[in-house]
Amino acid sequence: MDKFRQFRKMFAAHWKMTFREKQAWFWSIFFPVILMVIFMIIFGGEDDNDFSAKIAIVEEESTEATNLLKTGLKMIPVLEIVSDEPETVAQAEEMVKEKEIDAAVILPGEEGTEIRVIINTENEQGVTTQAVYGILSNYVQQMNFQLAGVLPTYSLKTESISAGENPLKFTDFILTGMIALGLSQGGLFGMANQVDLRRKGVIKRLRMTPANMGLFGLSDMLMRMIFALFQLSLLSVIGVVFFDVTLHIHFLSLFMVFIIGALAFNAIGYFLSSFSKTIEAYMGMANIISFLMLFLSGVMFPIETMPEWIQPLSHMLPLTYFVEGIRTSMVYESFYADWLGIGNIILWGIVTFILGSLFYKRKSIVADR
Amino acid sequence: MAYIEVTDLKKSYGEVQAVKGVSFTVKKGEIFTIIGPNGAGKTTTLEMMEGLISPDDGKIVIDGLTWEENGNDIRQMIGVQPQTSALLDLLTVDENLDLFASFFPKNRPVEEILSIVNLTDHRKKQVKKLSGGQKQRLAIGLAMISDPDIIFLDEPTTGLDPQARRNIWDIIIALKELGKTTILTTHYMEEAEKLSDRVCIIDQGSIIALDPPHTLIEKLSTEREIKIVFTTLEEASQAMGIIKDTVDIQAKQDGNAIVFTCKNVEDALYEIVRFTRNRNLKINQIAIKDYSLEDVFLSYTGKEWRD
Repeated sequence: MDKFRQFRKMFAAHWKMTFREKQAWFWSIFFPVILMVIFMIIFGGEDDNDFSAKIAIVEEESTEATNLLKTGLKMIPVLEIVSDEPETVAQAEEMVKEKEIDAAVILPGEEGTEIRVIINTENEQGVTTQAVYGILSNYVQQMNFQLAGVLPTYSLKTESISAGENPLKFTDFILTGMIALGLSQGGLFGMANQVDLRRKGVIKRLRMTPANMGLFGLSDMLMRMIFALFQLSLLSVIGVVFFDVTLHIHFLSLFMVFIIGALAFNAIGYFLSSFSKTIEAYMGMANIISFLMLFLSGVMFPIETMPEWIQPLSHMLPLTYFVEGIRTSMVYESFYADWLGIGNIILWGIVTFILGSLFYKRKSIVADR
Repeated sequence: MAYIEVTDLKKSYGEVQAVKGVSFTVKKGEIFTIIGPNGAGKTTTLEMMEGLISPDDGKIVIDGLTWEENGNDIRQMIGVQPQTSALLDLLTVDENLDLFASFFPKNRPVEEILSIVNLTDHRKKQVKKLSGGQKQRLAIGLAMISDPDIIFLDEPTTGLDPQARRNIWDIIIALKELGKTTILTTHYMEEAEKLSDRVCIIDQGSIIALDPPHTLIEKLSTEREIKIVFTTLEEASQAMGIIKDTVDIQAKQDGNAIVFTCKNVEDALYEIVRFTRNRNLKINQIAIKDYSLEDVFLSYTGKEWRD
């Protein structure tokens, strides 16, 4: 029998079925792209020196000291002082309530020494509010030093470094996270077709012919790999063109991480499909797993920022290492040599594949009875 | 000589004994129908013959080959149309046939298959856009793609409208003309009666009767049921009274008709017509009921047949 001919026809069939399946397009292409664009816009915008906060200054009483404080505040570049200054504290409070400004600074009168800052409770934990607090407290401290005629002995200078030779921007971090997430979702959700084929009895039907089921699985896998490669390229291009992401790719490392990761997540999807009776059940499970991993695997923020008790869980998930691997290979231009991490991904792949195969085998004997 | 030989086949699912020692033979080129109500064990028997499930006990020999020793050879010889049409919905009719053709070393040309199953006009359509009958026809087409000697058709007409059902019958008859051996399961008695060379009636996992349909019916009884319809109720009552008193026939009245069974139809009819003529009773309609496989089933199991 011509095995190559069989493989070619099977591959063509998988290819056509995938491209004609709208769900595959949505989950594998549009969804990761939309998700990435949203996250890039939300988290990628506050980079570098773009930060600015809008504040209003209220002088309860105009004195030499308040004029000095006011001039000083106006000189802070990231603070944008509104031109139509409120005359009273009540007016300023109204502006904060209406969110016209990020904060109102109430300068003290002749006798007072207290500078009050009014912010909206809704924004209390927001990044802008926290930054305004920091800036103002630093400013008040500087003013106190000046008034006391003291020069600070120590000063603070921060530098940021990243694991690779190239400086890491937050958008680079997000993009690589989203690429890893997208590829993992491709694997997790990609077996919907498999569930459908089994539900309709097609797998059973094929077993009644001399069709080589190994080749059927292999051709499906090859098609998925090509699809995943397309996904990787598309997300990278969007990141580079629209979000100014800088990629420094270590191709060998990327190739290794891509193959291992894509196979492992396909195996997890295969495992989920092995005990799902309906597409809805399968999609539900894939969604839960994907959603959990999205938050626990360092896709959008580093694992170290999460509560300590949850971190061991993150270190058990394959996406954690897949994200690291993709990031190392695509941004740091280094070879991803965390063998324990790679071992984790491979272990997930092997265990879920074996379990999935066992479930399929057990079911095929008693199928539809 | 038997082409397929099934001996003492048994299969259980947990506590349920689905097939309880079934034995039969199938001759080359015949349409052999396994009929029985839902859950009778038809599909289990068929799937064991198709090599899809292993029997707990018993033996299946197909043209001298067994599944245990010659699985691959048998797979080349058989074509299967499963109960659910099991097609690749997103591929076209052509693409489905083309894919299945690649599984076998020898193929019947796709054009020919399309013509036999009457799908030439729909060859470029995706399967999901086909009607139920067209899908079943394609499933039969896929079973024929390797030009097999033996074709298994598992309830090919279930759920189809009468026209679509008749289209499938034409295909089954065409298969016989091509010299194929067809093993068919159905729960439509009419289908079994019309198509089969031999019928094997299964109930609760056991064979209750196996013969050509007409033999089964003939064996059942030599008595026929005759129904004579009069123009009015009064005439029917009058006739009934006279028949009861004068002719040695057990009859019952059903509205303006009288119904009775007898062994010698010709004599009975002659007597009755003569009788009614003499008394000026006008007969509107005479019906002689044929026994069907449904009656065979009823007589063997004591159960009413339901489609």
